Amino acid sequence: MKIKLTSVYVDDQDKALRFYTEVLGFAKKADFSQGPYRWLTVASTEEPEGTQLQLALNNNPVAKTYQQAMFQQNQPAAMFFTDDVKGDYEQIKARGAEFTMSPTEVTGSTIAMLKDTCGNLIQLTQLARW
Amino acid sequence: MTSHAQYIPGPASGAQMRKEEGENWTLILVRELRHSPEKVWRALTDPVHLREWAPFDADESLGTVGNRVKLTTVGAPRPHVTETIVTRADAPQTLEYKWGSNDMRWELEPVGGGTRLTLWTSINRRFIAMGAAGWHICFDVLDHLLGGEPIGRRVGPESMKFPGFQRLHAEYATLFGVDVPKW
Repeated sequence: MKIKLTSVYVDDQDKALRFYTEVLGFAKKADFSQGPYRWLTVASTEEPEGTQLQLALNNNPVAKTYQQAMFQQNQPAAMFFTDDVKGDYEQIKARGAEFTMSPTEVTGSTIAMLKDTCGNLIQLTQLARW
Repeated sequence: MTSHAQYIPGPASGAQMRKEEGENWTLILVRELRHSPEKVWRALTDPVHLREWAPFDADESLGTVGNRVKLTTVGAPRPHVTETIVTRADAPQTLEYKWGSNDMRWELEPVGGGTRLTLWTSINRRFIAMGAAGWHICFDVLDHLLGGEPIGRRVGPESMKFPGFQRLHAEYATLFGVDVPKW
């Protein structure tokens, strides 16, 4: 067994694709559609064959409630790892993203949090080097 | 009975595309079936028939105006259900409803002993060739089904995997002058 994919709910897949590619810098990996259903994933350009992130349309009322509750409680819907959280913070901010937490040292790592404009908080994490 | 393995779709044909304002364009598909409009109408509206060929399952008949019908897209990894209200059902001629946000308009005209079936559907412009290929195969399956020689529904990921799909997708993209998405 391998972990090849994880997903976040988004309120608009076109908007999400723009944000995750143009602002966060990921690359589109898969884009299939059948009627109203669309399977859309992105992957890191540093690791094109790595784990994919599915941008799943949030058309399910239960998932919508969950997404809103997580957002209100400041819980990230996904966490991305970087070797340079401060550099990424500056770049992503320059591309227009709104951060709710600038890079902050916490136990074992430095983290930052931003809004993905599609209903989620995203955490950037840089693990401390011991 | 024709086995799954023997079915190979014919070349792309009978499709037109109309550019619209915004993301959704109109895909127009025309197919002549060797069966009467009454028979085709039943296949387009009856949940038991739809399950044999259509890319969605319906929990109620699509053949009555005002019916609220849940359409479940086949092949989505999580249940993808959209509710629609039938806005027009003039049996056996004209049928209108929505699949998600996509308008669906079907017209059936008697031709000889058969039916000329026309589908107008709004579809995201990026998936217009993919949609044409998918419907092309659905109509083949429908024609075989009505002829009493079912070859089995081919929708969702299963339909995309077999080689004929990618060929059809590329042919419709060429016909429409759009790019085939690269993955």
